[in-house]
Amino acid sequence: MEVAERMRLGTVPGQSLPPAFEDLFRREYARVVAIAHRVVADADEAEDVAQDVFVSFYRKHPAEAHYAAPWLYAAAAHTALNALRTRERRGKRDAVEALRRDTQVPDPAQAAETAETASEVRAALGRLPDRSAALLALRYSGLSYEEIAAALGLRQSSIGTLLRRAEDAFRKEVTK
Amino acid sequence: MSDIEEMLSVSEPKIDTERALARLRARVDAERIAPVSRGASAPRRVAVNIWVRGLAAAATIALVATLFTVSGLAETILTIFEPKQLVAVPITSTDLGSAASFGAYGTLTWTEQPKPYDVPDIRTAARESGMTVLTPGNLPPGVSAPRYGVMPKTTATFTFSAAKTTQAAAAQKRTPPPMPANIDGSKLFITGGPAVVAFYTDATATGATSASGATGPSGASPFSGMPRLIVAQGKPPVVQSDGVTVDQLQSYLLAQPGISPQLAAQIRAIKDPSSTLPVPIPVDMATSKKVTVQGVEGIFVGDSTGLGSAVIWQKDGIVYGVAGTLTEQQVLAVANSLH
Repeated sequence: MEVAERMRLGTVPGQSLPPAFEDLFRREYARVVAIAHRVVADADEAEDVAQDVFVSFYRKHPAEAHYAAPWLYAAAAHTALNALRTRERRGKRDAVEALRRDTQVPDPAQAAETAETASEVRAALGRLPDRSAALLALRYSGLSYEEIAAALGLRQSSIGTLLRRAEDAFRKEVTK
Repeated sequence: MSDIEEMLSVSEPKIDTERALARLRARVDAERIAPVSRGASAPRRVAVNIWVRGLAAAATIALVATLFTVSGLAETILTIFEPKQLVAVPITSTDLGSAASFGAYGTLTWTEQPKPYDVPDIRTAARESGMTVLTPGNLPPGVSAPRYGVMPKTTATFTFSAAKTTQAAAAQKRTPPPMPANIDGSKLFITGGPAVVAFYTDATATGATSASGATGPSGASPFSGMPRLIVAQGKPPVVQSDGVTVDQLQSYLLAQPGISPQLAAQIRAIKDPSSTLPVPIPVDMATSKKVTVQGVEGIFVGDSTGLGSAVIWQKDGIVYGVAGTLTEQQVLAVANSLH
């Protein structure tokens, strides 16, 4: 891209993004990482997911869009679920190793066990239908019913029921 | 703490937003990622664009498909593509990602740009499009009153360019087959629309709903960014040519590095390409099947997550589409109730 074009678009190479986008990033980054982290249970991977989500938004949507936050939350959940499934396909050893990095348990044996359990739980989450898994990720990241409804394009009145079904399905998957 | 909260618990991440922002700046710079152009993308416009993009994708594949079987064109302008029926053509994300865009083969010049705009009501939509605009007699519960958009008739000329093809291929480190001399410089005249799109949002939801259903950049639902229900109708694209030799175009375009053998075979299998509009179906995101709509054959498309459905059919020279975050039954009920 020519420098002149960049200037016109409000960016200077290597220095800044459009101010409205930077504001959005500062406002929502922590929440997007939290949603992704809840899914992948690996802080580094969650930050990678968040980067992809913001790049994707930057390419396609204006920072001032009123739907920016719900879009970012939904994208965080779906992108993280894709990353989780990719990791699961690579094999259990990789998955456990990734989660071990994230455990804050000092005892190595206990850390291994915690990572193993977390890995099984995430595998179960990855097997759920997309909407159910996204519902759980968003809800347990602290989003309100209203925010979940906006993010997933659902009616607020149906979130409670859908969430209960997703929780039941999740419990069944975990105990399989 | 509930059992699920405990199962999904994670360590508290140490987040450094400024460091993350610096990383994003560096990436945007290194990968030369351009932001969306200003003024784009109000949710309704997103939906219009999705629809127009779908039409453009269909038209592009239709071009590739139909140019092939028409032969013996002299220096006269011939109508080589005027669809009367639809066929589903499965495409994979690899096809979408690796096939060069049509722009790599030449220059597209718009004589009338595809500029969708909002209109206040159905009467204006009908007047500005010159079509009788059908409305559903049967709507799923909870949808709002419709908002209408019109895309005026669009015309464009596409000029094949061997030089541009070589340049585009070199940029991607690919070696395409050489463009035959008589294709270089030949022209296609493309006409699309007019079209009318009616958007129905979820009356009970918040204002952000029409932009949601949004999903991540990969493995996303093809229905992301869609209002609860869209009803669209438009004149199908027509393509005319000033004299390309189509046998050569066939072997030339289907031999391009980005076109998979499976896609090429699907396109070759179309029995009457000059009157068939291929509807691209992203197979890794959606499934499709034939259905009867309004007494004619149509194509039902469902996304793999079960969140959205669409049906598209052609009747009396108009292509119709109904899509939304609805079940198959609901979408077909809306489609069959159009009058």
